[in-house]
Amino acid sequence: MTRLDIDWTRCDGHGLCAELLPHRITRDDWGFPIISPAPASAKELKRAVTVCPALALRLTRS
Amino acid sequence: MSAALDLRSTDAGAWSIGVPRLLAGLDTHAVLDHGAHLEVHGPQPIVELPRLVELLTGAGLSGRGGAGFPLAAKLQALHGQRARVIVNGSESEPASLKDRTLLRRAPHLVLDGALAVAAALGTDGVTVAVHDEAAFVAVSRAAAQRPDGRRVRLARTGGGFVGGEARALVRGLDGGPAVPPGRREHLTSSGTLVANVETFAQTAILLRRGLRGFTDTGTRDEPGTALVTVGGAVGRPGVVELPLGTPLGILLTAAQAAPAQAVLLGGYHGGWVRPNPDIRLSRAGAAAAGSSFGAGVVLVVDEATCGLGELALVSGWLARASAKQCGPCRFGLPALAADVAALAAGNPAALGAAFGHLHSIDGRGACSHPDGAVRFVSSGLHVLQDEVELHRHGGCRRPVVGRLPLTPVTSLTSGGAR
Repeated sequence: MTRLDIDWTRCDGHGLCAELLPHRITRDDWGFPIISPAPASAKELKRAVTVCPALALRLTRS
Repeated sequence: MSAALDLRSTDAGAWSIGVPRLLAGLDTHAVLDHGAHLEVHGPQPIVELPRLVELLTGAGLSGRGGAGFPLAAKLQALHGQRARVIVNGSESEPASLKDRTLLRRAPHLVLDGALAVAAALGTDGVTVAVHDEAAFVAVSRAAAQRPDGRRVRLARTGGGFVGGEARALVRGLDGGPAVPPGRREHLTSSGTLVANVETFAQTAILLRRGLRGFTDTGTRDEPGTALVTVGGAVGRPGVVELPLGTPLGILLTAAQAAPAQAVLLGGYHGGWVRPNPDIRLSRAGAAAAGSSFGAGVVLVVDEATCGLGELALVSGWLARASAKQCGPCRFGLPALAADVAALAAGNPAALGAAFGHLHSIDGRGACSHPDGAVRFVSSGLHVLQDEVELHRHGGCRRPVVGRLPLTPVTSLTSGGAR
């Protein structure tokens, strides 16, 4: 299964990933992403990776 | 800061329950120099890597720095690389004194273990990373006394709770910021073996005693002894060597503990437990009690102290100790600490806010600091339920005395950590 990994040292909580995939990613009190554990298509997740301005997201296979 | 845990007084505060192994000879020697070390422990046999792995596996020797990862598995993960060997003596847990006690008073045992591991790996030398100044001096003296002392390199670390995490430590030694990297990769994959001071000392004991001699105390799954640091409301604080699996009640009696409201096991990433005397002091025993053995810290909060106030003090410290690299930790821990402080001050709504924040911090960081802080606070709120009730209805009328030792927070060089 493809999974979205967050490098928390890079994430600044811009929130573009949550705007792009509102049904997959929500934000906490401070704007940092909360990723739903429900499976998502690799294509969808790849778009989140590319849109992140802090390069904090990457795909991993588990 | 608890006067009972003053560092100067704990130099004398090393004692044992049962026959001491790591602390052998320290009843009559302030420091074991090389001659005294050989008299007490004898020479150390050198073994090849396969035999070392076999011994470590049979002894079930796991890391004593907190994470408890088996040393044999670390060695095997190196796949025969000529790894560099690092002794992690940063001991950044404020309540723990065991590693500096070993380094200050029995440095040769630690060096024996580290050099034996290095020799088995075909590596020339070892790096000992320490923060404590007296420990630094003691190790450099010890190295000068040994024929193989030139193989020992000493490095002074900057300190900081998160800076003692193995990956942060290695980054700092390599000239980078002493904060954890963003990606969770194992150090062994880059040819680096990092283990705790006590882990190496236990290895030296194992090499001398052999498997049968090592496993003749402790539990079946966790043989041997362990060092714990006992503190808080006790008459006899200090570093104690005990067989793994020793009941908590025996330690509390031996340490002359005051009637306990709660006990913190494992340190500030550990968990609070009710003072049940039957809890076994081992990794399995602490886990069964809903806590973790961690780096072997046992702190007593007595009935005469405001437990929630003590919890609030350490919660604030944990927030300040964050490397502030990761958002949920950087913003979440101060918010959580404010909730606990508000609850202690009598605001009943703060409990719900604290549970919300605990949920949104857990598991969301580059290192285990946020998770450890969550375990500390959530177990505290759970175990101190009666206290929490009293505070929601006006307070417990007991004083906050700073029963749990805290160290100044050193600023971490996280500014350019991106």
